[in-house]
Amino acid sequence: MAASIEDVANAMFEIVKDGAGSKKYKPSDLTKMMVEKLETDKKTCKAAIKELVNSGRLVYTYFGGSFLEIPHKEGAAPD
Amino acid sequence: MADEKATPLLDELEKGPYPSFVREIKLAAKNNKMAAGVLHQLEKSYRDKIGYWKHGGIVGVMGYGGGVIGRYSALPDDFPEVAHFHTLRVNQPAGWFYTADVLRKICDMWDKHGSGLTNMHGSTGDMVLLGTRTEELESVFGELTKMGFDLGGSGSDVRTPSCCVGPARCEWACFDTLKTCYEITQHYQDELHRPAFPYKYKFKFAGCANDCVAAIARSDMSFIGTWKDDIQQDDEEIKNYAKAGLDIQSDVVENCPGKCMTWDPDNMKLTIDNSYCLKCMHCINVLPKALRPGKQRGVTILLGAKAPIVEGALLSSVLIPFYDIDNEGLDDLFELVEDGIWDVWTENGKNRERVGEFIQRVGMGNFLESIGLEPDPHMISHPRDNPYIFFDQEDEEEEA
Amino acid sequence: MTERLTDIGPPHYEKFLPPVVKENYGKWKYHEILKPGVMVHVSESGAKLFTVRMASPRLLATDTIRWIADLAEKYCGGYLRWTSRNNVEFLLTDESNIDPLIGEIKKNGFIIGGMGNSISNIVHTQGWVHCHSSATDASGIVKAVMDDLSQHFENMDLPGKLRIALACCLNMCGAVHCSDIAILGTHQRPPRIEHDTLDKFCEIPNVVSACPTAAIRPATVDGKPSVEVLEENCMYCGNCYTVCPSMPLNNAETDGISIWVGGKVSDARSIPKFSKLAIPFIPNNPPRWPEVVEAVHNIVDVWAKNAKKYERMGDWIERIGWPEFFRLTGIEFTKYHIDDFKHAGLSFKRTAQMRHLPEE
Repeated sequence: MAASIEDVANAMFEIVKDGAGSKKYKPSDLTKMMVEKLETDKKTCKAAIKELVNSGRLVYTYFGGSFLEIPHKEGAAPD
Repeated sequence: MADEKATPLLDELEKGPYPSFVREIKLAAKNNKMAAGVLHQLEKSYRDKIGYWKHGGIVGVMGYGGGVIGRYSALPDDFPEVAHFHTLRVNQPAGWFYTADVLRKICDMWDKHGSGLTNMHGSTGDMVLLGTRTEELESVFGELTKMGFDLGGSGSDVRTPSCCVGPARCEWACFDTLKTCYEITQHYQDELHRPAFPYKYKFKFAGCANDCVAAIARSDMSFIGTWKDDIQQDDEEIKNYAKAGLDIQSDVVENCPGKCMTWDPDNMKLTIDNSYCLKCMHCINVLPKALRPGKQRGVTILLGAKAPIVEGALLSSVLIPFYDIDNEGLDDLFELVEDGIWDVWTENGKNRERVGEFIQRVGMGNFLESIGLEPDPHMISHPRDNPYIFFDQEDEEEEA
Repeated sequence: MTERLTDIGPPHYEKFLPPVVKENYGKWKYHEILKPGVMVHVSESGAKLFTVRMASPRLLATDTIRWIADLAEKYCGGYLRWTSRNNVEFLLTDESNIDPLIGEIKKNGFIIGGMGNSISNIVHTQGWVHCHSSATDASGIVKAVMDDLSQHFENMDLPGKLRIALACCLNMCGAVHCSDIAILGTHQRPPRIEHDTLDKFCEIPNVVSACPTAAIRPATVDGKPSVEVLEENCMYCGNCYTVCPSMPLNNAETDGISIWVGGKVSDARSIPKFSKLAIPFIPNNPPRWPEVVEAVHNIVDVWAKNAKKYERMGDWIERIGWPEFFRLTGIEFTKYHIDDFKHAGLSFKRTAQMRHLPEE
């Protein structure tokens, strides 16, 4: 059975959470991983990212390229 | 003790005939503490010969990954008014047309929620609202959307598309730059606000090869108006120019890069061999009453321009030599962009690799194959001059 | 509570088009420059639209925008636009309003021009007003250079168009790389590495791969993961700083300006081309950067005196040759002028065709 948007969102969130502090992921990195790991497609991944950001579980960050991260304290650099 | 509020260095830049940005900052600083903070931090930069801003990559409005540039003073204790100084990029109306009314509304909002300072406009084309605090961002966004405005792009997303004045006020526009710009901007709202690419992707639309928006130098996907048939020519008006003293031979004919013109001074007759015309615009620029672009108009679409970061600057190069965009519409283009270019680039591009750099790395031939376009001699200035050809091995074997 | 709107995009441009534009959209027949800063577009219907172009410092206070709006209301039915080079264009249908409008503009210390064979506004970046990676200020140099060249903005007294652009570092938010004259903020020293914070703020593989010359390597410093920079391979682009705030390279003593010439974006006559290096480095000298102003002035003067009608800076230099450019401008030619990045060999002279300069 194809993974739901929620399944994909949860799986993405776990990857970002595990990588926090050591590895940052771009939306395209997560999408590629999901397409390989789960039974899903790019469209579902896009919806999952939107869901994660709209709900505040992940935020977009920018340091010479856009990444998805767990929300952390604002500032010129994460504290 | 020195007067902490004095700005002797910046005062020097209020002098002289050209409009002064210092005057602007001071004007805003009368009623706005943030603007005053900028003024005094800038005076310190002038004294110390160095900037005092830090970039911050986390602030934004809910749900968007672009449109807000996080900025903090590196000296928040000295300049607490600009401890936060985030910029919002507001997507400009196509062609940068405004009414007095809408400008006043934006100004009122920005005085209330920000520094009272703007850039009209930023380098990519957005209206730039310069400097506010994190807690104001949602209010600004809310008020902007109520007025019918939205944020532009930043980060690894579609950047705010921009276009020249086009058919709104230019007789040389070979396609409807404003309509195309508006429709593409609306179509790609998601890609503009939610960064999903290896790096930025810019669209610019220039109505003719004069390229008033620098599309060929500054956009990943450059649309430049052109035509296929003959230059429209009014012989009487040419005579008028000649009679008024214009030297048609040296000013027009000798500047033609296609060498496709001759001038008969006795009969005051300009003859154009249109089959060799390069559509460079020079003769039309010089003789606007007498010459106009042809009637079979469209665009040349080019790909890949960028500034030096990371692998060196590039100009766009031809992807589609001619497309009748006003009549054939945008659907085929959307398909090419989304299912072709973006798909291949997003799948295989490295972080901060623009599409032009990506093409350099994988090879234009391979790139064309992957997006399903046939190679065309209009795409090159000359064929390769080195013999290091990577032949497809399957093809070899089939022939053997 | 009202619904939170997202993804509405910009307002439709038609809302802001003056009636004369709506009626004659796509029907313009020709235009004429009536005098510096004033032109008329004539439609096939015979309708006329007059444009008055006003210089702007780009950085505008809301009060100035309100003043501009008031002028548009008084003289233009409330309609105006900005150009791609940050000038303001007032759009008039009543010719008799032109001179009173210009009078009010000048009274408030603004100037009109920037049309035809003139210099238009200098497109530029944020500099010390707002940027984290700038090697120089932007607005201040622009102001000083334009004060010096304003007669070429207000008059059409140049051989061809002159497009100057300024970017405060080689990120080039202003994409100055195809300008007749580009003024570019330039760093001269490698980044300083803040080893204490680097591992916390930055992802090391990302930092390593950010370097175009592979000058950054992972390293352990005082027991902490960090990076090292092979300084002889660093050309101070600042790309590492953009991805990693722990590698600043701003330097008050060694930051400054380089000057580039001969680029263009239009296809008219010759194809678009990049600007090429004229002056590798001029130290920062605020508030008015007199050395930069003088260098630009000199280049403009020599071009204006020697170029043929319509000949842009780059076309003129191609005609006379680079040795002659350096001779006429008196600019010193150094090893820094010779490219040593990728494809550098393409810019070496690969022919014996040559004009030899006269003996001194």
